[in-house]
Amino acid sequence: MTETDRQARFRREPARRVFAAELRESRLQFKDGNDEKSPSFVLLPTGDRSNRIFLVGKMTQKDKKGDQNVFFTIRVEDTTGTFFVNAGSYQDEAMRQIRQIEPGGYVAVVGKPTVRTTPDGSVFVSVRAESVTPVDEETFRIWTLDTAEQTLGRLDRFGETEDSVKAREFYTTDTRKYRQIVYDALVRIQP
Amino acid sequence: MDSVPDVVERISLKIEEKGVSVSREKVAGKLNLLISDFGIPLEEAERVVTNELIREYNLSPSSGGGGQVQQREIKEVQPGEWVTIEGKVVSVTEPPSPSIAQTGIIADSSGAIPFVIWAKANAPLLEERSWYRLEAAVVDEYRGVPNVKIHSGTTIVPLDDDRALFPSVVPISDLKPGVGSIRAKFIEEWEPRHERMRQTGILGDESGTIKFVLWNNGEREKLTLNSVYTIYYSSIEEFNGRLSLNLNTGMYIPEEGVDLEVARGTHEASGVIAHLGPGSGLIKRCPVESCNKALSRYNECPIHDIQKEFRWDLRITGVIDNGEEATNVLIQRDVAEALSKMTLEDAISVAENNPLGYDDVLDRMKHAVTGRYVQCRGNDMGGTILVRDCSRAAFDATRHTALLNRAAASPEGDRK
Repeated sequence: MTETDRQARFRREPARRVFAAELRESRLQFKDGNDEKSPSFVLLPTGDRSNRIFLVGKMTQKDKKGDQNVFFTIRVEDTTGTFFVNAGSYQDEAMRQIRQIEPGGYVAVVGKPTVRTTPDGSVFVSVRAESVTPVDEETFRIWTLDTAEQTLGRLDRFGETEDSVKAREFYTTDTRKYRQIVYDALVRIQP
Repeated sequence: MDSVPDVVERISLKIEEKGVSVSREKVAGKLNLLISDFGIPLEEAERVVTNELIREYNLSPSSGGGGQVQQREIKEVQPGEWVTIEGKVVSVTEPPSPSIAQTGIIADSSGAIPFVIWAKANAPLLEERSWYRLEAAVVDEYRGVPNVKIHSGTTIVPLDDDRALFPSVVPISDLKPGVGSIRAKFIEEWEPRHERMRQTGILGDESGTIKFVLWNNGEREKLTLNSVYTIYYSSIEEFNGRLSLNLNTGMYIPEEGVDLEVARGTHEASGVIAHLGPGSGLIKRCPVESCNKALSRYNECPIHDIQKEFRWDLRITGVIDNGEEATNVLIQRDVAEALSKMTLEDAISVAENNPLGYDDVLDRMKHAVTGRYVQCRGNDMGGTILVRDCSRAAFDATRHTALLNRAAASPEGDRK
């Protein structure tokens, strides 16, 4: 019995699949544990916690911001809305990748969702990118199927899991609205 | 979880078995005092109250009086019970700590169980291959595995007769934490990750595979790759939800001139390649025979120091993420080449003719692979899937239609 075997291995947080229309509605961010290094989660309105998300969409805008601390913001659109994705010096790999990609094509983004309250009091959800890579349209269509399936899965379990009970309390989620979002997303990728 | 009334009933029956009647209120009173006033866990409180009553009525905790603990089959004993068993000591192992005098495995025809003799029990040590009757031992649980504790109140009776004992060999897929016997082929050898490990790898039979470890303590022989073994009474341990077979307990016998069909490659990971680890890309391998470890950037092998010669290789150590779970994968050269559309020769040329060298190879690989949907199959090696083949996923129109129907169907409507 070695020490390495005895230690619980680090478990990577999975990347949740979420449509832009749902992520936009996310407001509640919480930490699981009191440690400084405890993972932070955004509670999705359909009732699952997400520390990390995976999204695919068309990159419509790229902006370089900041003077001394340069960072990039990009907009990525799926069929339901816009994701706001950024990468700064702490995400140097994603930043390097973004530098090389011009808007207009599809990109796949792995990143961490964060909820911020702006000085004027409005709440804004963005994604801090870990990786941004150019992909083809087929990957976007597969992602839409994948995200539709996982969103429907969350809706089917809604009210039965601890996180979804919390989501119902916090967001008073209308599950029919999210079914409609899924349906519309699927219709828009019809060949 | 037991409730308090259950425990009251159990303690009372245990005392009554010894021929003394005891009032339920008295037992409940003692138990509640410990639980509510002292905050002692129920399990612990049960032991304390039982012992207290035994002392109070001057009963023998073991086989004395009319209250003999009934002899049981090893297969049936449960954690928390006081038992009497008869069995053969099939292996003894060095105790892991000075507070333990001896550990080993005792078996009867129904099954086998690890035993522990505490140093302070002052009990005689058991001899391998001998039969014993253990009276009033306690069944406990350690890391999910039941074991028999021999304490100061346990009576050890050596038995003279050497009865026949046939271990029941089970398919690997039926193994559970505890003790198990299997017939299996040694199909894969891995580099030991720890200096105390002599050998580690994968054993397989028709039903599945299991990791095994042979530790450095003791004079045990290494297994020979691709040979078939019958392995008796090995302890089966569980780490992070995965079973591992410890070869230092029990015994193993090679079978000459036979082969065994092994079920492998049953593991599949599909989803998105969400991450490529730093071990991905172009690497150098140690040229020393049967070493093959990845060298550092300064050509150092963790075992064989600096190597002037080396062998190039291309691989991906990454994560496949399906939205629910992130699975570590190790993708070997041919599959990595196909996925990243870069051959080993391309990679070597990039590395040699480019100021950024290795980093450039890794960047190109990430560019080509990250964020893509794939389906990979391979062998599970302790939490990481060693990928044998991998294909890019395609858009599935049938799945699209099915999801449209599922999204359109209102679950509220279906229930009417």
